[in-house]
Amino acid sequence: MSGIALADAITKKPVRRVRRTPMLPRWALIGGAGVVALIGSYPYYGSNGYMLSLLGKFLCYAVFALSIDLIWGFTGILSLGQAVYFGVGAYFVAVSLKLNYTLTHPTRYGGKIPDFMEWNGLTAVPSFMAPLMSLPFAIVCALVVPTLLALLFGVITFKRHIYGVYCAVITLAESLILQDFIIEYQAYTGGFNGITDYSNYVGAAFLWFILGVTAVFFLTGRVLTHSRLGTVLKSIGDNDVRAEFMGYNVANYRIFVFCVSAFMAGAAGAMYAAWVGLVSFLDTGPVYSVEAVIWTAVGGRGTIIGPFVGAFLVKGAEFFLSGTLAEWWQILVGGLFIFVVLVLRDGIVGTIANWVRRRSAGSFRQIAQEADRKAHDRQRDWQAEGATRHGEEAR
Amino acid sequence: MTQSIITQFLSGFSVVAILIIAALGLAIIFGVAGVINMAHGEFIMVGAYTAAVVGKLGGNTLVAIPVAFVTVGLLGLLIERGIVQWIYDRPLETLLATWGVGIILQTVTKLIFGPELYYVGSPKFLAGGFRVIGRLPFPWYRLFLVIVAILLLALVFHVIFKTNLGLEVRAVRRNRAIAGCLGIDTARVDMAVFVFGSGLAGIAGAVLAPIKSVSTAMGFPYAVDSFMVLVLGGVGNLWGVAAGAGLIGEAETVLSFIFNNVIGRLLVFLFIVVTIRLVPKGIFGYYERR
Repeated sequence: MSGIALADAITKKPVRRVRRTPMLPRWALIGGAGVVALIGSYPYYGSNGYMLSLLGKFLCYAVFALSIDLIWGFTGILSLGQAVYFGVGAYFVAVSLKLNYTLTHPTRYGGKIPDFMEWNGLTAVPSFMAPLMSLPFAIVCALVVPTLLALLFGVITFKRHIYGVYCAVITLAESLILQDFIIEYQAYTGGFNGITDYSNYVGAAFLWFILGVTAVFFLTGRVLTHSRLGTVLKSIGDNDVRAEFMGYNVANYRIFVFCVSAFMAGAAGAMYAAWVGLVSFLDTGPVYSVEAVIWTAVGGRGTIIGPFVGAFLVKGAEFFLSGTLAEWWQILVGGLFIFVVLVLRDGIVGTIANWVRRRSAGSFRQIAQEADRKAHDRQRDWQAEGATRHGEEAR
Repeated sequence: MTQSIITQFLSGFSVVAILIIAALGLAIIFGVAGVINMAHGEFIMVGAYTAAVVGKLGGNTLVAIPVAFVTVGLLGLLIERGIVQWIYDRPLETLLATWGVGIILQTVTKLIFGPELYYVGSPKFLAGGFRVIGRLPFPWYRLFLVIVAILLLALVFHVIFKTNLGLEVRAVRRNRAIAGCLGIDTARVDMAVFVFGSGLAGIAGAVLAPIKSVSTAMGFPYAVDSFMVLVLGGVGNLWGVAAGAGLIGEAETVLSFIFNNVIGRLLVFLFIVVTIRLVPKGIFGYYERR
């Protein structure tokens, strides 16, 4: 077989054959459509309001996990402060909704400003927050500000080849400081209590909106990572020095993917705030960031479906088990971290993919095809021109 | 104003001492084994609980220090053998695994000791304080912390530069492969370093227990501060720890006094980020040959 292939390669016009998996394999299309249909039709077959609210939440978590997967799973940047971008997005929308809510629902003392401002002695909405009265402006902020923050962070660190553990530690500190900031400046952020009591959008229509945005983001993620760009990103994740030697500007690729990821995280946060109706400092903290990293790891880093599966599984398990297990749930989560790192390195989706690949390499059909091809080769060997050895003839 | 800033500067020394004490263990583990131990804060916490138990049994801080060293060192040995030894080549994932260890340690401690805070008294002979300048009292215990920090630095210097183990550690740090070729059991060195670093975290916990109420969540802020010290000071150089801790501790104390806590921390963070933007490997790590 190899003789023929070699001869072909030499005598024929060189054709560069790149075997690419299809952008959207059939099973992914069908499965994705199935999941979308299943979640999207929940308002019709399910009547449980709690389940409905969980679904919307989980979708936001899934987008957040996807944003981590893009930078960590594909490009190898571990950020332990991704919740900063999530939280910034969430706070913009929450503050805007709260400001609008108080216009129609004055506080107990009759003030038309958010209750946390009143508690802290403010009498009017501070001028720098006034533009947030307009929800569209707040949404734009929720998307743009995280991206710009990520750009700034990327320019500062990646341009100077600061990555890996350093990057993880700095992002961790970043999110811890943002958390402190929010608690300290409670007159503007609601402080320890967070921002609650505003009209949030729970319902079928907004669920479909979140679902649509989630689907678009996951498709974007697939397109992004399946393109040439994605190949470069993966190569950076595998060996950044080599990618640099190949002539790619590693820093710029890192910055780009970091910004995309921050944008997604910001969007996830914005949707989360509008859906849940409660944003607190915990949503920007390091614990939440690392939690999301573990969803991605459980689902399967470096796969697009992984974050979705991981977020739904881990968060679902938490909602259904943490009540009954209490403290033991925390131990389980800790164990999950260790288990995922030591044993289940590729996560659930990655492990299944590996298994399928290994199986398909040795499956009956594969063997039959291989045999067919060998027979074909042999046949060509018997042809007249095959009298001389292939390869020699070409020289 | 100037005088009070000077007093703040003096009291900053105790913050620096705390940072050095907390960061030393992490610095050794990260510097030699290349592992960021996310459970470092929890190791400190376990050390503090050890001190609390020792206190209940009638011992004081001086007794608690060796006990905590041994306890947390054994804990480190357990975790190194059980988990970390398999993932030395994947630092980012070590970070996640040790984070998991941290969660487990916190929860188990909470299950054993309950959610309430513990208070550990400082030793009798260190009660009270003296006045430095003006009216600001400087507690004896803070001075004790400074002395402990200096002694610990000296101890680590002694171990690294004067003992056989230290020689091997330095060799492994310089060039792991060649060190292995020369017959140094690098895995054993990694283990020894991890255990020693954990023990130092234990000492940190025992020493810090009297100035902080002991709770399961007490460790994490120390861990983050320690990371910052390492990032700023540079990894793998003990002077880096001292320099990083000195800069961060003083800057944070003085800035927090001028502005407030949060602004102080934010400014220090920005300072760190700008510094490593200029010298990516930290102040002392930069000139190190790798």
